[in-house]
Amino acid sequence: MSPEEHDPQDGGGRIGYRYAEQHDLPPAVPVTDVAVTTFEHVLEVDPRLMERWVQQQQMPAWDSLRIVHGRHDHLTWMHRHFADRVVAGSGLLHEVEDDDREVGP
Amino acid sequence: MTQIDDPERADDALAVPFTPGMRDNPAQLAEHVETIARQPLPLADVTATPEQELAAEWRNAAYNCFSSGHKFCREVCPVTQVTRNESWTPTAFHANVVAMEQGQLSIEDVAADYVNCTQCGACELRCPNTLFTGDFYRFRTRTVDVVKAVRALAVDQGVHQEGWRTWNARTDQLTHEPVLGDTPVSQEHVRDWSAGLDLPVGGSTVLFVDCEAAFYRTSVPRAVAQVLQLAGVEFGLMDEQWCCGGPAAEMGYVDQARRFARHNLDSWRATGTTRVLVLDPHDYISFTEDYPRYFGEEYADIEVVLVVELFAELLREGRLTPSVPVERTITYHDPCRLNKRKGIWREPREVLRAIPGLTFHDVDRVTQWSYCSGGGGGLPIEKPELTERIAAGRVDKAAALGVDTLVSACPWSERPLAGAGEAVGIDVVDIHELLALSLGIDVGGTTNGGAP
Repeated sequence: MSPEEHDPQDGGGRIGYRYAEQHDLPPAVPVTDVAVTTFEHVLEVDPRLMERWVQQQQMPAWDSLRIVHGRHDHLTWMHRHFADRVVAGSGLLHEVEDDDREVGP
Repeated sequence: MTQIDDPERADDALAVPFTPGMRDNPAQLAEHVETIARQPLPLADVTATPEQELAAEWRNAAYNCFSSGHKFCREVCPVTQVTRNESWTPTAFHANVVAMEQGQLSIEDVAADYVNCTQCGACELRCPNTLFTGDFYRFRTRTVDVVKAVRALAVDQGVHQEGWRTWNARTDQLTHEPVLGDTPVSQEHVRDWSAGLDLPVGGSTVLFVDCEAAFYRTSVPRAVAQVLQLAGVEFGLMDEQWCCGGPAAEMGYVDQARRFARHNLDSWRATGTTRVLVLDPHDYISFTEDYPRYFGEEYADIEVVLVVELFAELLREGRLTPSVPVERTITYHDPCRLNKRKGIWREPREVLRAIPGLTFHDVDRVTQWSYCSGGGGGLPIEKPELTERIAAGRVDKAAALGVDTLVSACPWSERPLAGAGEAVGIDVVDIHELLALSLGIDVGGTTNGGAP
């Protein structure tokens, strides 16, 4: 999800605050043993794992989405300010493999 | 020392590290987890001192900061930027809670330190515990709430800041904040700003006008009302509008804040109001964060709409067409409560880009996480000199862009910014005023409380 084009389905396409929309989240769908997803591409820890030591906070939908969008915005900003080029992970792996070949078994 | 090699615990699933919930965990582990989940331990002794009662509620949030120590919060904090005082950093505000829990500090020791916060929200957003994990765990850094809670504890314990005590006592007396200007602050005059606009009272949609705009910068609500009229939006004014209560909540006067909120909600009920238009970001925070917390489901039928978002929508729909060129070179000040605390930055820019004639030198929203006017959180009441320094720093950044105008979308930011702007020849204009101008509206009202 691009920070410039927040999906209308994630709450970015309709103005105004309504209580129910903020507190009645989409149903959680398990995606791994320990994580669920509510809004598309937004992963959350399975809430059953936060029942003892640190309990989850009341977090309305707008707040979760604000953090997600803020993170994207911040990463984009960091790249713009501190990265001269973007390197693909596959490129790095090739470099490592080349180094290994040079050293030998 | 690890217990993994302890032969006496060889059969104990808890003796080895594990990730709860994984499929390949030993079967007996699930039994342990459920047992634990059914019998949660009490987190703290709630019969302890008032400070420890506060810590019982906020200890996890405080330790989340205290045990991390990233300190990315420091350079985005407007107070830290101008004072470098270690006792006035977001980190210190959390560390104090830890110390109070341990009985090493009392509220008397630290109450005055908590004045030094504009509640802009930069620290809690920039904190990695929010930005990179807050949504995943549904557990984020909450500096603003911690500061509000400590201030409330101070008031509860009779530890007052004199400026705030007087301000809130006068607000209680007047039902509005005692902003200074030509218009007397009172219930009788709260709608004076709308003179000549022929606005009805009540109805399903009302425009809520904050105290600063209603009594000091009356050009803002006049601009908003006339733009709404031009677009054909039906709305009325509140029958009996009081202060939203947000400033009292920010300064720790919680009972007063709740009383004011109750009054406003009852007034909306009495006039059949279900939609509230809000022009001030501080009110928007009150109505979308405080009121839902106070009223819960009782608040379910109230819709809150931020005017600048509505204006952007009206422009998109073609119901507003700015055509009068405004020949100014501007930059935009992202109000903290919109950009940092609500993630609203796009719509104000949409509005500005629709105005012909403007030369717009934009500064991106992330860079502006570290910008602030100094006008929030009650800081100008207790520490006006700090507000002045923060506002001066913000205006200096605008001056470096070579602009002649700094545009904001927050009436409370515009007084300190305008004061600082005078020194460097930068005019401070509200975005609603600017849009009205480009729509050919003669706004009227005053931008400075009627001062010559």
